[in-house]
Amino acid sequence: MTSAAITASPRRGVLRDPVLLLPVAVAAGLAIGWLGVHEGVPGARVAADLALSWALVAASVVMLERPRWRRASWLLAATAFALLGADLEWASSHALWTLGFVIEGLWAAFLVQLVLTFPEGRPWSRAARIAIVCAYAVTFGGQLVGAFVVPDGRDALSVAPHASFAHTVDRAQEISGVAVALVVLFLVVQRLRALRGPARRAQAPLLMAAAVSVPTGVVWLGWAIANDAGTSTLGTIDRAVAVSLPLGVVAGIVWSRLRRPEASELVVELRTEAAAGMRERLARALGDPTLEVAYRLGDGRFVDATGRPIELPQGADRAVTAVTAGGEEVAALVHDPALLDEPALVESVRATAGLVLENERLAAEVRSQLAEVRASRGRIVAAADAERRRIERNLHDGAQQRLVTVSVALGLEASRADTAASDVLSRAQDEVEQAIAELRELARGIHPTLLRDEGLEAAVEALARRTPLPVTVSGTTRDRLEDPVELAAYFVVSEALTNVVKHASASEALVLLEREPDALRVTVTDDGVGGASVTADSGLAGLRDRLEALDATIVIESEPRQGTTVCAEIPCGS
Amino acid sequence: MCDDCNVRKRVLIVDDHQPFRAIARELLEDAGYIVAGEAADAGEALAAVAADAPDAVLLDVQLPDRDGFAVATALAAVDGPAVVLISSREADDYGKRIAACGARGFIPKSKLSAAAFAALLE
Repeated sequence: MTSAAITASPRRGVLRDPVLLLPVAVAAGLAIGWLGVHEGVPGARVAADLALSWALVAASVVMLERPRWRRASWLLAATAFALLGADLEWASSHALWTLGFVIEGLWAAFLVQLVLTFPEGRPWSRAARIAIVCAYAVTFGGQLVGAFVVPDGRDALSVAPHASFAHTVDRAQEISGVAVALVVLFLVVQRLRALRGPARRAQAPLLMAAAVSVPTGVVWLGWAIANDAGTSTLGTIDRAVAVSLPLGVVAGIVWSRLRRPEASELVVELRTEAAAGMRERLARALGDPTLEVAYRLGDGRFVDATGRPIELPQGADRAVTAVTAGGEEVAALVHDPALLDEPALVESVRATAGLVLENERLAAEVRSQLAEVRASRGRIVAAADAERRRIERNLHDGAQQRLVTVSVALGLEASRADTAASDVLSRAQDEVEQAIAELRELARGIHPTLLRDEGLEAAVEALARRTPLPVTVSGTTRDRLEDPVELAAYFVVSEALTNVVKHASASEALVLLEREPDALRVTVTDDGVGGASVTADSGLAGLRDRLEALDATIVIESEPRQGTTVCAEIPCGS
Repeated sequence: MCDDCNVRKRVLIVDDHQPFRAIARELLEDAGYIVAGEAADAGEALAAVAADAPDAVLLDVQLPDRDGFAVATALAAVDGPAVVLISSREADDYGKRIAACGARGFIPKSKLSAAAFAALLE
């Protein structure tokens, strides 16, 4: 879980906080500015460099608001100092000039790294890593090689001054610079197209700034190569283009902040309206359509709004933020990790949603308990059915089997015996057969074997045949259904037909089986006296648990003198 | 009855309840049938039919391994002996399976008599 990232306060310390760089940057800028003015550098150029450096440092401080942007923040500050460092070329001191010369292009490499690792500080991909390494090689490596050959009197490293070779190094640098820039552009555009939701909101401005400044830089470099222009003109132009990057960072943060009014509207909305559609509202307020709300039950499990259990994600591709009410965790928001960059937004939603989510949580808990009760009732009914099946089997294999043998033996002896004995034996056999018939009826009521073996249609037809009045069975179940569904339907028909025989004074009955896409409907109609009602001790009332465990409904229509219709609808898979 | 037959019919009795087999044997022998053998389950029954080639099989539906319908179907497939199914349940408890398995007919065990058996074999 990454929820801690929101509440943990940023670590403080001299080396951990770029805020402390502000006075350093101001001082360094002033020193470089003085150097420039003292050495006769044009005022506009000095002002542009100072403005860019200070803007970069200021942007790096603004970025601190995002805990996960810390590394990017450091890179932005480093870029500012590299820019000022490059201006050491204005110095007449050979050592300072040489240092300035060597680090002249480093700021561009820092910016490439910043863009291609934005916002978390890790290169986006292998290609991005290679592009970053190339950027450093071209800028820093190229300048270092140049320092050995450049024919400049101030160059302290100049060991083999060679004007045309130095020029070649310059051109090689520029051409490879264009290549790196094109790769960066490709990667940036690719990234821009892939971004969604809150991540896009926060990162798009910087990436778009890069997508504009990189091609502009490429055009200038191309122009420089074509016209063999001096590096100082080029440097000025490049810097002006690069200023768009810190602007992009700040724009991203401001854009994200503009979301907050929605979060405060949420307060009003949530406190005045019912909690229905809670997820949609939170998703809108946070600007994250993938948001999920997980409600925490008393036993620590999480469920969704319908009470279905859910697991909180553990991976880095989703983040989890705990929502509390009265000090108790009531829910967890599962969201895009990019939202962690906007702790203030998440916090305001979290503070607002607590109370309402507490209500929702209670509702979800009740739903979960209902589901639990229903599942447990289903298990109880299933266990009872298994037990009934076992009893039926035992009756059949045990007592009934033995009685049948006795009956056949009595019949055999009756056929062998003289008339008087035969009469007694025959009567004994009749009695045993009566016992067998009663036992069979009992066993059938406990569990209908035909239902298990042949399905509902065959079992209902057998019921109809055994019912002592004409019963017509029509319709079909199409396929075999789950055991609990078939049993429930069978017992409804069985109880309804028993009632018809006992109470209805009917001349006939109809049984209709209808298969709907997601339910089985069973209707039993008679033409009897009507006026039936379900009393607590009636057989149909006894089916309540069985039917409710399946979410089934049963409706009885029984107007006086208009017959009775019992209709049960039992949900079942298609 | 088979006293009138030229050849006395040979019958295999299949039932997992030994006391019942014993009574059924007496009943059939009294009526003039020859009991060719007894079997307690489907496997034994099929082996006995192959070995003894009886004219008829008195076959219980409920057997420990496979049910009587499976045995009847297997025998019908090889044009085997006439099969009469018996069970301590009623015909109604088996629906259409009795008609579908190729047996000559069904007698509830408690109604078993040589006359009922002979009537189905005719």
